Amino acid sequence: MIKLNNVTKVYKGTVVAVRDVTVDIAKGEFVFLVGPSGSGKSTFIRLLNREELPEHGTIYVAGRDIGTLGAWRVPFLRRNIGFIFQDFKLLPKKTVAENVAFALEVIGKPRHVVRKQVPAILELVGLAAKMDNFPHELSGGEQQRVSVARAFVNRPPILLADEPTGNLDPQTSVGIMKLLDRINRTGTTVVMATHDRSIVDTMRRRVIELDQGVVVRDQARGVYE
Amino acid sequence: MALSPRYVLRETGQNLWRNVLSSAAAIITIGVSLWLFGGFFLFNYAVDNATARWEGGIEFVVWMQPEATAEQDANIRNSIEGSPAIKEWVYVDQNQAYEEFREIFSDTPELIEVVSPDVLPPSYRVVPENPDADVVSELSDQFVGRPGVEEVVSADQTIRDIQRLADKVTRVFLVGSVILLTAATLLILTNIVSAIRSRGAEIEIMKVVGATNWFIRVPFMLEGLVQAVMGAMGAWVGLRILDDTVIKGLSEPDSLQLMQGFRVDQGEFYSTSLLVLVIAIVVSGIGSAVAVTRYLDV
Ligand SMILES: Nc1ncnc2c1ncn2[C@@H]1O[C@H](COP(=O)(O)OP(=O)(O)OP(=O)(O)O)[C@@H](O)[C@H]1O
Ligand SMILES: [Mg+2]
Repeated sequence: MIKLNNVTKVYKGTVVAVRDVTVDIAKGEFVFLVGPSGSGKSTFIRLLNREELPEHGTIYVAGRDIGTLGAWRVPFLRRNIGFIFQDFKLLPKKTVAENVAFALEVIGKPRHVVRKQVPAILELVGLAAKMDNFPHELSGGEQQRVSVARAFVNRPPILLADEPTGNLDPQTSVGIMKLLDRINRTGTTVVMATHDRSIVDTMRRRVIELDQGVVVRDQARGVYE
Repeated sequence: MALSPRYVLRETGQNLWRNVLSSAAAIITIGVSLWLFGGFFLFNYAVDNATARWEGGIEFVVWMQPEATAEQDANIRNSIEGSPAIKEWVYVDQNQAYEEFREIFSDTPELIEVVSPDVLPPSYRVVPENPDADVVSELSDQFVGRPGVEEVVSADQTIRDIQRLADKVTRVFLVGSVILLTAATLLILTNIVSAIRSRGAEIEIMKVVGATNWFIRVPFMLEGLVQAVMGAMGAWVGLRILDDTVIKGLSEPDSLQLMQGFRVDQGEFYSTSLLVLVIAIVVSGIGSAVAVTRYLDV
């Protein structure tokens, strides 16, 4: 599903954020990216989404070499990839339902599809009762659920999350992880960058550790350290 | 896959409403500039129409008094016929003058109603052998002040008068409209850029969920188009008023003889309106294109 071959990403010609990384992630896998601050986790994730292009190496996502993808095809690549932010990035003037619907509307989904899929996904994340609330009326955990709903409403085969629990307390984080786990069990590939030791140690999934952009550990059912 | 009209209208409406004041500024600027631009064309049409009676080499017109006697008329006619310096001449009698009047003022039947052939002056339209200004003026002077003659108008002077006036008016209109059109383009551009800036969060989400470039751009471009078209509508109303008051006012029957025929017909008015609309679309197109390509990297 995701394949990196000798990928190197250099910022501004000097900062090597990712160095000669080769990784193969199968469909349906759940992968934690760990490592100290500045080790290249966010860069790794942005490379998969083609927000960044590598200086060297090739990246395959969903069977496509995304380095050779024309600019106009990038949006179509991204429709296969859900993205969850640390700071949720909900639109403050839209309700929960509108925030989720927005993700479908802007890729041209017809109204009847939007009307069907939005309540269904809000049901899945446990927010059906709050669909008409605005983001500021929700707790952090609830906001992150909305963000997960938005990322997953189009049922992409891949979900990327950059420290999705970074702004949440441990208890709330567990709730979000259960949700991601459920989504993963439907066959969705999940790649998640995190600093959260207890989550990684509890879930016991594949762990890829980066240090100064280099993969220093790649462990099935691994732990944080 | 297609852009849903509901989505596009909602986003465009929100953009316009969010910046009502600067949208209004852009609409007013583009309205005034297009009004000046259209005014330039209307005046040019009017000038062409006013000078139309001087076609065919006619260099001066001897306007007779409507109440001139047959004897006075014959006297003038004999002088014209007998002059070796005159190549051709046409006599326009009161009925023909009325026909001409009806044609010129076909847009304003109320004017035609109050005029009858007997109040219109008959005239001799004269083509001299030698169109040289000095010769023409010497020749036409022979008819000035003779019994039964109301006025002698030479083309040379008339056309020069009109042209001088028209030149001034239209130059101001053209220069003013070009400057304002530039300002309008910049206003549309900055409006769209500020709309883009104020919607950074939405745009970020759109990119991440895979909205296409056009999907992201179109509401912003439409915003510029709406502003331009609203400005064009305002300009159209202004042009109607210009035509109804200034242009029609100048050509009132009691105004200067030389201004008669200073008018714009329906076809000319509508082609000017269409041009104004096209310019509006082009201007908004330029503003939006620059805004979305330079400030909306997708
Ligand atoms: N846009 C950028 N321009 C220049 N340098 C960058 C950019 N983004 C990241 N970097 C640098 O690349 C390196 C890796 O950054 P990255 O954000 O990928 O690390 P990270 O593992 O996500 O860190 P954290 O755990 O703090 O989020 C860092 O040295 C960072 O300063
Ligand atoms: Mg990071």
